[in-house]
Amino acid sequence: MEQSAVRTSGARVRLRNLSKSYGAVVAVDGLTLDVPAGTFVSLLGPSGSGKTTTLNLIAGFLTPDAGDILIDERSVADVPPHRRNIGMVFQSYSLFPHMTVADNVGFPLRMRAKLSRDESRKRIAEMLALVQLSHLKARYPRQLSGGQQQRVAMARALVSRPRLLLMDEPLGALDKKLREQMQAEIRNIHRSVGTTVVYVTHDQSEALTMSDLVVVMHRARIAQIGTPRALYEAPANAFVADFLGDSNLIPATIVKTAERECAVRIGNRAVIAAPPAPFAAAAGDRAFLFVRPEDMTLQPASSVQPQDRSGLVGTVKELSFHGDVFKLSIAVGDDVLKAKVAREQCGSFEVGRQVVISWTPNAARLLPATSDGASSSESGMR
Amino acid sequence: MTAIAGHTTAPPRMAASSRQRIIPALLLMPCLAWISFFFLLPLALMCWRSFAAKGYSFAAYTVLFTSPLYTKVMLTTVKTASIATVIALILAYPVAYVLTISGGFRRALILTFVFIPYWVDIIVRTFSWLILLGDNGLINKLLMATGIVHTPLELLYNSFSVLIAMVQILLPLTIIILFGAMLRIDRTLIAAAKIHGAGSWQAFRTVFFPLSLPGVYGAGLLVFVLSLGFYVTPALLGSPRQTMIAQTIMVEASELLDWGQASAAGLVLLIITTLIAAIYNRYFSLDRLWGGSDA
Ligand SMILES: Nc1ncnc2c1ncn2[C@@H]1O[C@H](COP(=O)(O)OP(=O)(O)OP(=O)(O)O)[C@@H](O)[C@H]1O
Ligand SMILES: [Mg+2]
Repeated sequence: MEQSAVRTSGARVRLRNLSKSYGAVVAVDGLTLDVPAGTFVSLLGPSGSGKTTTLNLIAGFLTPDAGDILIDERSVADVPPHRRNIGMVFQSYSLFPHMTVADNVGFPLRMRAKLSRDESRKRIAEMLALVQLSHLKARYPRQLSGGQQQRVAMARALVSRPRLLLMDEPLGALDKKLREQMQAEIRNIHRSVGTTVVYVTHDQSEALTMSDLVVVMHRARIAQIGTPRALYEAPANAFVADFLGDSNLIPATIVKTAERECAVRIGNRAVIAAPPAPFAAAAGDRAFLFVRPEDMTLQPASSVQPQDRSGLVGTVKELSFHGDVFKLSIAVGDDVLKAKVAREQCGSFEVGRQVVISWTPNAARLLPATSDGASSSESGMR
Repeated sequence: MTAIAGHTTAPPRMAASSRQRIIPALLLMPCLAWISFFFLLPLALMCWRSFAAKGYSFAAYTVLFTSPLYTKVMLTTVKTASIATVIALILAYPVAYVLTISGGFRRALILTFVFIPYWVDIIVRTFSWLILLGDNGLINKLLMATGIVHTPLELLYNSFSVLIAMVQILLPLTIIILFGAMLRIDRTLIAAAKIHGAGSWQAFRTVFFPLSLPGVYGAGLLVFVLSLGFYVTPALLGSPRQTMIAQTIMVEASELLDWGQASAAGLVLLIITTLIAAIYNRYFSLDRLWGGSDA
């Protein structure tokens, strides 16, 4: 594979206060986003959060009601889709059924680049080699499997070396195994071509594994932007915490705030220490105490002296096996907390046992108790 | 256990499936009876008569394929039907395309205008062309009043008047068939063409148009078959020297009272149209025309 031959530099994409409504439905509401050149950025969010609309605005299929889109610092408001020099992979692939694989891949070259016949043929061959489909170039799309069609769509999107590639749930129609394989392939291809990618998905694990930057969308707005790790470890609000991975969001009341530390009351029980709130908070405010299940340390209550119990005490309600880990549901007063323990530690926990739950102080975070917090249906063990 | 369970459930299932076969058959009965009595039976009679009337021989068919009169009539028929079909397709295509790309209100409005003439009786429509195209008709009066011509143009009783009226009658159906075919073209393909560098015209030329061609061929065949059987229009608007096959059959049957010859000609026409319909069904699938499966 000649990597240097297919390499381009990515475009910088900026969305400025972008809005779009369909009648009374606000699909995108004041979106501002800066995608650095060459970045793989995912738009992640539940169904209806405005991801496709955002992508179609960037592509130029829709005109924004307000705001602006800048590609390489130039507004593309007056540039029609075919002159934006973008590649796109559609959810249903949208290959041209009346053209062979080679003609599909060559389409953007015939429309865009005024290349010589030999030069085009070379480019098509290069692209087909990159997606490992050289042997199928004379086939028609209907004669290909889903994964192969997906690769043809990638090759077509990249052949004219666009500086920006848009993908709308490109793996949605594939089964889990193939999806994981294609995720790795797309990453590799991105690395070798160097173009900027805006990738839409509602699959959080896909977004976390593939992206340099994740934009979590919620109800037409951006809930948070960050690297996958930052979003996972330091979600800005209950929605993001809940949407990305498993989480515990324990309703709490702030008792005391200080610069280095604050204290919260959970239910009407223990007052425990928490890191300082990353938002304006005063004593008496409601908040969520957020802890990842895998950051919880569990001990059988019988092995800890009552005076040494620094954490919460609860009863194991459920225990389920997930291969590498066990997941536990633990009732603490009215709340049910989730915890994960490694397989070999599980012997000491059974349903009905009392356990002491604790965590290191910096594993917990205080999140604002906004109305659109953990209301999403995405909670629960995954 | 499982074997016993299988045993007990089998009989009711069989009963259900045979009932499933009987009920549609019963529902079809009245329709089948109607078709047999009013269509298949006369058809069989016609077939029998085409031989019997000529002393149980193929004489009627020999005449059909050897007499210069029938050759000429068949040629006129095929020529007129072909030209009418092509013109109808050319005129219908843009309308169907606009219908496809417009939504809601505009689509409903255009469809209404397409269908208004369809609701008017075919004879009334044909007569209205007499009024428009006659020597003292609206068009000639206008042309003379504006001084473009000094003697009335011969617009009537020739292939021009027949074609213009036939096309008008065929248009609504052609538009609807093309529209149905175009609706099935995936619109994201056009988006895919555009984002990959095709302007509107190029997207149409390289993607939409080729994908619409099967629909065009299908519509063409169907409209052609319909045009072959036109009677009222050529009879009222055409020249007696350029009769089409349906008129000739009528003359044989009602004026010359040669029922055997008329039956033979009718059967040949029927076989040709059935053959074309069969080709159509084989390659374009009649099901798809009526919005059935896309397979
Ligand atoms: N053509 C349209 N007409 C009217 N409303 C629309 C249209 N397209 C989208 N919407 C609405 O706009 C909102 C955002 O839709 P969008 O397709 O951008 O969501 P999405 O995040 O891509 O969702 P999904 O994950 O289901 O694809 C939704 O409420 C949707 O119902
Ligand atoms: Mg979408």
